[in-house]
This record gives sequence, C-alpha cells and structure tokens, in this order.
Amino acid sequence: MTSQPFTRRGLLIGEDLEGRVALTVPSWLPWLLRRLLVGVATVFAITIIVFAATQALPSDPARVILGPEATEQAVAVLRGQLGLDRPLPVQYAHWLGDALRFDFGRSLDSDVEAVSIVRDRFGNSLVLMLLVLAVTIPLSLLLGVALAVRRDGRLDRVAMAGLILFKALPGFILAIGLILIFATNILPVLPAVSLLDPSRSPLAQPAYLVLPTVTLVLSILPFLVRLVRAGVIEVLEADYVAAARLRGLSERRLLWRHAVPNALVPTVQGIAMTARVLLGGAVIVEVVFSYPGLGSALNSAIEMRDIPVIQAITLLQAGLVVLVNLLADIVTVLLTPRLRTAARPTLKPGSRAAWKLSGGGT
Amino acid sequence: MIELSRRHLLAAAGAGGLLALTGCGPSQDKATGPGLVPRRGGRLRLGIVDGDRSGNLDAHKPVGLGSTIRGFALYAKLWEWSPVMTPDLALAEFAEVNDDATLWTIRLKPGLEFHNGKSITADDVIFSIRRLTDPQLASPYGSLVNQIDRDNLQRLDGRTVRIPVRDGQGFIALPDTWTNFGGIVPADYHPVTNPVGAGPYKLKNPGDYVPGQRALFTRFENYFKDGKPYADELEIIEFKDQTSRIAALLSGQIDLANALLPEQVGLIKPGSGARVLVSQTNGWQSFDMNTSVAPFDDVRVRQAFRLLVDRQDLVDRALLGQGRIANDLYSPHDPTFDRSIPQRTYDPAAARRLLDEAGHGVLKVELVASPAAASAALVFAEQAKKAGVEITVRKVDNPTFTGPQRLDWGFSSGGAMGSGMLGLSWIPTGLHTDAPTSAGNKTHFRDPEFARLFTAALAQPDLEKRKALVHAAQRIQHERGGMIIWGFSNTLDGISDRVGGAEAENSHFPTWRFDKLWV
Repeated sequence: MTSQPFTRRGLLIGEDLEGRVALTVPSWLPWLLRRLLVGVATVFAITIIVFAATQALPSDPARVILGPEATEQAVAVLRGQLGLDRPLPVQYAHWLGDALRFDFGRSLDSDVEAVSIVRDRFGNSLVLMLLVLAVTIPLSLLLGVALAVRRDGRLDRVAMAGLILFKALPGFILAIGLILIFATNILPVLPAVSLLDPSRSPLAQPAYLVLPTVTLVLSILPFLVRLVRAGVIEVLEADYVAAARLRGLSERRLLWRHAVPNALVPTVQGIAMTARVLLGGAVIVEVVFSYPGLGSALNSAIEMRDIPVIQAITLLQAGLVVLVNLLADIVTVLLTPRLRTAARPTLKPGSRAAWKLSGGGT
Repeated sequence: MIELSRRHLLAAAGAGGLLALTGCGPSQDKATGPGLVPRRGGRLRLGIVDGDRSGNLDAHKPVGLGSTIRGFALYAKLWEWSPVMTPDLALAEFAEVNDDATLWTIRLKPGLEFHNGKSITADDVIFSIRRLTDPQLASPYGSLVNQIDRDNLQRLDGRTVRIPVRDGQGFIALPDTWTNFGGIVPADYHPVTNPVGAGPYKLKNPGDYVPGQRALFTRFENYFKDGKPYADELEIIEFKDQTSRIAALLSGQIDLANALLPEQVGLIKPGSGARVLVSQTNGWQSFDMNTSVAPFDDVRVRQAFRLLVDRQDLVDRALLGQGRIANDLYSPHDPTFDRSIPQRTYDPAAARRLLDEAGHGVLKVELVASPAAASAALVFAEQAKKAGVEITVRKVDNPTFTGPQRLDWGFSSGGAMGSGMLGLSWIPTGLHTDAPTSAGNKTHFRDPEFARLFTAALAQPDLEKRKALVHAAQRIQHERGGMIIWGFSNTLDGISDRVGGAEAENSHFPTWRFDKLWV
C-alpha cells in the first residue's frame, strides 16, 4: 500500500478519499468535534449515574460521620446542615450548579474543601502515572520489537514465560515482595512506604516514587510488550512487507520505517487503556505503599459515604477517561492513513478492542 | 478477601525471613528502649489506621479514632486518664460534686495558657462545654454530658466554674464522660482555621494537617506540665493498611504503631528494631441480643445463648490469645464491680434445656457482624451448632453496621473496641450501652428495676452506698441482660527501640501519651 503521498495531502489540504475538498481543515475535524460533544454528554450522563449511585449506597452520610454513638437529634441536625433532607432532584441541581463552578462542597469526613483533597491526590497520581508511562512505553517498544524479531527463539520463549508470570502475579504480592526485598528484609535501601511530605512536590522526594513505580511498571509491562510484539509480528508477515523485502529493503529499514509505525496503532490504544487504569488510581499500590493517590481517596470516600469527594473524583476521572480516549483516537487516526483521510473515520469506542486485537491498522 | 490473603502472605514471608534469622517468638514487655532518662528534641512519629476515615481536628466532634488521637496531642482537658483508667485532675486543680450529685464545682490551676499565649479562664471552660453540647455542632459525644444544665453554667471567679445538672438529677459521671471529648479551647476557636488548645503539641500552620495523610505538630513550650513534652515535633501519619504500617515501623519510617492486630504481633521480633507492648484493657467484645424481638424477648433464650459461648475458645481463636474471658459484665476495674458473681461457663446441654423449655427445637438466628468482629462471630456460630442452634453470620461493612439500622439488628456483634467507651467505668459505659438514657442501646434492655438502680447510682457520690446499688444492677444484667460479653482484648502497641517512656497500662493509651514519650 503506497499511502505516503495521500497521507500528507489529507493532512494539509483536507481532501478526502472521494476527492471532495473539505476547505482547509483536516477532513477528520468534524469527526473530532462530534467526538468532543459525545464526550461532554458522556460526562454529563456520568454525573447523573454517580449522583444516583451515591444516593443508593446503604446508610446515610450524617450517620456515618457521627458514628453509632450519636443521638438521632444530632444526626438530624447534621443531615439538615448537609442539605441531605432536600428532595433528590433539588440536591442534584444544586450539586451540578456548584460543580460547574468547580465547587464540590466540603468533605463530609474531614470538613475541608473536596477540591483541595482531590487536587493534591490527583497531582500525586498524575506524577506516578507519567513516571510509569515514561518508563513503560520505551521499554515495551524496545522489548516488544526485540522479541518479535527473535520470534520463537529461546530468548523470546523465556521472556514470554517471564512476562506471563509477572502478569499472573497479583499486584499486592509484587508490591510486598519488593518491600521485603528492597525495604525491610534483604537489601533495605528504599523506604517501605511512600510517606510523601505533602508540603513538597512528589518529584522532590524521588525515593518514595521508586517502589510504587517499579511495581506498576512490572505489572503493566507484560501487557504492552505482548501487544507490541504481536503487532510487529503481524506486520512483518504482511504481504507488503514481503514485497518490500523482495525489493531489497534492508531489514533494519523495514522494521523501523514500516513495521513499527504500523504496529503502533494497537499499542496506542493499549497505552490509553493503561493510562485510564492508572488515572483511576492504582489502588493496590496506593494502599500497600501508603501512596496518597486518587484511587485510595475514592475508595475511602465511598467507604465513608463522603459524597462531595466521591462526586469530585468520579467526575474528574470520567472527564479524564473521555480525554484519554479522545487523544488515543486522534493519534490512531493520524497514524492510520485510511482513517486520517476519511470524511467519517469509523473509529468508535466499540471498535477499539477490535483494533487492539487485530494488531495492526494497515 | 484480598486484605486477608495479603496479611497472611506477609506473615508467612516475615516468618520465613525473620524467624530463620532469630528463631524466637515476639519480644514483649521489655523495659523502655533508649535509656530511662528522657531526651529532648527530634520528631516522634506515630502511625495510625482508622479504616477509611480521614477525620478532623475538632476538639469536641472528633469523628473516628484518628481524630480522637490527634485531639490528645492538641487539647488538654480538665481531667486525664490514669494508667488504670480513672480520671485524674489535669487542667483542673479541684473538682467536687455536692451530696446529691446535682452540682459540680471545678477550679482551674493557676497560670494556664493556650497555644496562642492567651491565659485559660473560667469563661473558656464554659465556652468549651457549651460548644460540646451545642445541638448545632451535632457532636456525637455531646449526649454523654447532656445531663448538665448548659444554660445555667456559673462563673464563680476567674478560675472557678459551677456546673449544675438538669432537672435536679444526679450525675456523678461527669469526669468520666467529659474527659475524652472535653478539650478546653478559647472562644475564637475554629476546628479548621484556628485549632488552638492547651495540649502538649500545637499546630503551627493549618497546612500542617493534611486529612487522610498526616498531621505535623510542634512542641508547646508552655504546656502545663513542666519540662514536657520532650520531642520538638510530633507527626501522626495515617495508613490505610495494617501491613504497610508494620513495614514502616520495621523499616524505621515511624516510631509507634498503636493497636496492632493480634495476627501481626509475630512480625515484630527481637532484633527487628521494635517491640510489642501488651496492655491488658477492659475493652470488651460482645454479641448483643435485641431483647425487644423474638427469640431474644424470652429471657430463657438469652440465658441459653450466654451458655453457648465457649469464652476461652473465643479468646484463643478470635483474639489469638491476646485477651481474657469476661462474664457478661463490663468494667471489671470499677471499684463498684461485684466480684462475687460466678463466672458463666460453656454448657451446651444446659443451653439446650433452656431452649427446649422456651419451645425452640432447631433455632435459626442471623448474627450481623462488623468487619472487625466477623471472625469471632464465625467461631461462635461453630460453638452454638453443638446445641442445635444454627447461626448464620452476615458480615456487613462499617457504614451499614453503624447505619440507620444499627439499633434494629436482632443479633449483632458489639463491644467497646475502637469506640469512645473503651475501658470506661461502669456508669459511663452503661450510659453508652444499656442504661435507660443510652443513645446506643442495641439490646433494647428496659428492665424497670435496673433502670431504677442505675439512676440511683448515678446520683450517689458515696462509693460504699453506690456499690450496693451497682451490685444489685449487675446481678440483673448478669441474669437477664441482653449482652453476651465474652472477652476483653489486649491493646498491642508496636514501639520502636528508639522510643522512650512507653509503658504498659490497663488502657489503650500507651502510644497516645504524647507528653511523656521521647525519641
């Protein structure tokens, strides 16, 4: 497939496959706008679901806050102060109105602004996520390509077996194993738990980031390496690669100029999925290392029926998931000539799994 | 599920790794670590676990255990707990109740100061108790001192306050019920923006407290006990997970870990840099029978169930031996406790006879258990099976357990662990549980004779006269009450070898005594 010339035209002057000129905007822009609208609608739908779900949780927040020893009068007073005695649609409208101004109210549990809790926790989760991705993406690309080239060789077989082993290990076993090795028992060089000083940036406290990052990298790496490996293998087996090979292209050029870029498409979706998981908070890592991230904050908030914090975090996560999906789809479209030049790229959320499985976008 | 297996994994790994090196059991009850002479300076770090709660800094509405512990650093009270859980005078130099216990007179020590330098006066005492009992504050602990007549508090002079009890009733339990949540604070107090008290440590900047993560306190130089506290700083760090807290203790990231789980004691071994301090407390564990619903409205069923409990087996298996058996009565340390009541023993045959008399062939009951009590509930279910009683254990999460249904469970786990009534004397414990005015009477025990005796005891300052009343009331509790109090658990504190001043007590407070610990 000689798609290179098409590629540039599609991008620069916005002409689609049928030859219609779409002014000077790229042909996929309307698609992008539609996706944005759908994203906003999704977030809105999620706010309703979140609100309904928090209402459906058993127990009532006022009682949870005050504990079993509080009198009914005290609980009733607090319920009134929290506005929990108003009709549900009124509560929802109030909440939505405030949320649009980024005011999520005060945490029922600790009486500070929910936004301030979420902001700190989000910062920590983001730092961890970026670190993990910064290590995992290049590493999985290198390893995946190296294994694909040596397919079925001894190194490939041993590495794949090792990766399956890591994938099968539950995260907390990995985490505790690392603590035992590097913090308490065998080679105590790193802190066992990540007691971040909240007054400084997590990046200024790198020792606390090592074990959580390593744990997450080890648990994510197998998935991405296998994805890259499968993608590269599939491309290397494609007819056009065989044709290129027959024309005398060097293996090196073949691999890095043709195979790898095409194998990137499923990888991008895989990375997006990883990012979504990490944004949701790596709860196990946060709990085992006492790392103050978003996941454990949400977990605690649900357990405490701390509705303002639950809503702030889920809304943030929903928005981020929509954003990550959008970014991944844009990158996918840009990487895939057929989609890039189509007036209506047919990349829908449902097709993402298929992309991933197909191992190529050619 | 995950938590349990993780815990077991670490226990196994720790046992495999550390035991091989030492070949010994846990170290317990050694004398204090770094010499016996207090050392000034440094930062004392306590790791706490309070479930999923973050909590606050409120002196009078400290929701959850973590908030209460932080309150012990920030706030001083008129009384403080002695190692045997009696209220000793602290900020007060004098506290006296009149003959029918309707009027308290309390005088502050001279020259007391708040963290911000303001002197502590009678007005601050009045402000503090009015704040605690303010209906708009909605403190869960306000009801404990609800009996005081908050609108008629009297300031006798700059240091003396007179506190009348409402409706001319007697209330001798004021020191016991006020001490935990009775922080004295100034009138411009605010729990978030101005958390000022007179405790051993102060909060320098509001930003030093990050809910769900940590609180960093600085030494209060003008603390009312001369020369104390010792450390420059105190850091209270919140953990969500018991296992990682132990790892932090063993790796030296924290100095103290309060209230360890019994199954984790084995991880702290000699040479590991820390020890386990065992304190025998009067924090009881129970199964509570709702006497207002079948089958527990029949006293014979209640008596039968109390005979179905193999108490020693429960202590051995549910508490892993870290406790002692109980006799369906709380507060054995109270001077009014009736020690002549015989210990009830496990007797499934006698229980069967009582159940047959009550007309129950095969009896099926659901036992609702909080997460912490689930294993004890399962052990009990197994014991009861031998007398043909089928107990289904339903484990629910804490918010559900303590939620709107909490007083309606037919049969549920109970106890003082992790609550404000841990180790209190008999009368204040009753006020939390089965007394006529209790807000948390899960047993719905409404025996008129018991109510009369309890109310009379509450108004009787004379110990000998009160003893007779309490003895009679305890006989009723023991004979027909609704609580199966099967054991008292030990408090197990992890103490780093760097820490001095930590001593075993008959309380859960050894790691909370921030004024006497040093690093």
